[in-house]
Amino acid sequence: MQNWLNQLKDAKKSAIADDYLKKVHYEFKDGRELVEEYNLQTNVVTRRAWRTKDKIGNENEWDIELGDPEPRFGDESQMVIKENASQPIISRRNTKTNLEWRIRNLPYPIETYSITCDEEKKCLTVKTTNKKYFKNLKVPELDRLGIPPNQEAISFCHKYNTLIITYKKPSELKELDKATLELAKEVPTKPQVFDQNNCKPS
Amino acid sequence: MAAAAAAKIAEVRETTRVERIGAHSHIRGLGLNDSLEARHVSQGMVGQMSARRATGLVLQMVRDGRIAGRAVLLAGQPGTGKTAIATALAASLGYDTPFTSMAGSEIYSLEMSKTEALTQAIRKSIGVRIKEESEIIEGEVVEVQVERPATGVGSKVGKLILKTTDMETVYDLGGKMIDSILKEKVQSGDVITIDKATGKISRLGRSFARARDYDATGHQTRFVQCPEGELQKRKEVVHTVTLHEIDVINSRTHGFLALFSGDTGEIKPEVREQINGKVAEWREEGKAEIIPGVLFIDEVHMLDIECFSFLNRALENEMAPIVIMATNRGITRIRGTNYKSPHGIPLDLLDRMIIVPTKPYEEKELREILSIRCEEEDCQMTDNALTVLTRIAKETSLRYGMQLIMTSYLIAKRRKAPEVDVDDIKRAYTLFFDDGRSVQFLREYQQEFLFNADDDAQMEVEDVDN
Repeated sequence: MQNWLNQLKDAKKSAIADDYLKKVHYEFKDGRELVEEYNLQTNVVTRRAWRTKDKIGNENEWDIELGDPEPRFGDESQMVIKENASQPIISRRNTKTNLEWRIRNLPYPIETYSITCDEEKKCLTVKTTNKKYFKNLKVPELDRLGIPPNQEAISFCHKYNTLIITYKKPSELKELDKATLELAKEVPTKPQVFDQNNCKPS
Repeated sequence: MAAAAAAKIAEVRETTRVERIGAHSHIRGLGLNDSLEARHVSQGMVGQMSARRATGLVLQMVRDGRIAGRAVLLAGQPGTGKTAIATALAASLGYDTPFTSMAGSEIYSLEMSKTEALTQAIRKSIGVRIKEESEIIEGEVVEVQVERPATGVGSKVGKLILKTTDMETVYDLGGKMIDSILKEKVQSGDVITIDKATGKISRLGRSFARARDYDATGHQTRFVQCPEGELQKRKEVVHTVTLHEIDVINSRTHGFLALFSGDTGEIKPEVREQINGKVAEWREEGKAEIIPGVLFIDEVHMLDIECFSFLNRALENEMAPIVIMATNRGITRIRGTNYKSPHGIPLDLLDRMIIVPTKPYEEKELREILSIRCEEEDCQMTDNALTVLTRIAKETSLRYGMQLIMTSYLIAKRRKAPEVDVDDIKRAYTLFFDDGRSVQFLREYQQEFLFNADDDAQMEVEDVDN
């Protein structure tokens, strides 16, 4: 826990905020960038995204750890290969007490799924009995604490074509959340003012 | 029946990309045997035995990759196969050994200085093989669907269904991906991997589950297990980039400033230094491997004295590639000076080079080359016509002879003949002048042309009159 907090403390930080949302940008010494979004009313992280550089120096795309994936408006003709729109997609959303995964576009009934935790790989494994879906879910929050995932904390339900997996936060994680929130609040903030009349097209 | 077959062939041609035929597209390699002796006619190369053998040794030197910064000069009359030898060398190098080909006059640009252009060319010729983690998709093909739009215009739509023992996913394919899937002839039952970023497909083999699909399979068919677990994995992949590519990526300005600066242009020496340091570090850690390649400068006499002295120094760098130059000049002026020197290259640079001469072709060799070109350009020619053409090539030049192949083929086609005959060659020969006849023509009719030498004299006379 201290390890991660120290990393955050050493990173170059900047932030912007309006009444409801505070965005904090961390730049780590190894060149990685992290952006966190805090909901100021509930004090919960709503988004967390990473950007890394590859070895040659190319910047990769933002890797969304938490929150909805970024909509992509890329040129379709440049597309090489991607999952069809009907395929399962995973999005993450955390609450104060739980870590949550939503896997949409999974039409199979609830008895199909089994979710086990793999202590060796430090991840949750989603399997289906009909062999249509398989996924290793990483738990970066627990990785940062160095705690392996625990089978007891997992629960899941299936509604509206969506499998919702809930993992109860251990007490250490709750503490870490509190500490990082405090750190984030200390970051000097520029106000983000949205003036409707001041729309500069360029 | 025959008509139907012909129609089918035409259709097949349409789908595979039509390649245009260039001056050296018949060359596939140096045509050497295992002990690097040149075979007389092989891989599109004819004659020039000693030059080819010498180039074979250079090739060996490049492959070993231990010697840096050597220069080789191919010197010979026009049309003796200097560029052909360089093309052959490029074809014999491995797929990830960089080969940069440029003409001497390419370095003169308003956008960047001459030395910058040369530095970029040199750095384009050094490859770095790096191991890096990348997203790949690995699975057994369940189905490939490619649909053309009904109207015939617009892009193709492609879908690929892949599975592992645990899951199955439908993928949408982009236009380039569809082409490479069709080219690789991927079909259901194959186990393949796809690099998600570049779209590179490699086939691992066929799935064991499909082992009984056909009674007869090629002996090289490899059967593999259907992969397990997730379709998408992160795996270490080896890929090759050139130093210049790394330079460009790292000299890009970030943020909105990138909009105002062009992509190319000059690269700061600090960036290069930093990258050299980084590459050296990777090499020591065993993360990267350096592949020295080949830089080919055609028409090297077009470089000027500044470039030559720059090259002198650049060749001493241990990261320098093997530089091959070609020239067709004799003793001539060095560009940018009033000094004369062999091949238009200063003596101190010549001293650092090994020189490979090319000799004019024999009549027999000309005939071989012309017949290879006939095949390459899809022309049928009678033996007599080929003899006449060889004679013409001997009297004028090989290039002129090669020009006559296509022109006389078109003349033969007009009279619906399947083969080019002597008369067609003769007709093409009268229709198109070679340089010798053109000069002769000019000598005879100089008076009637505009701005001939006599005009000046006449004008002076008029001036005096006024």
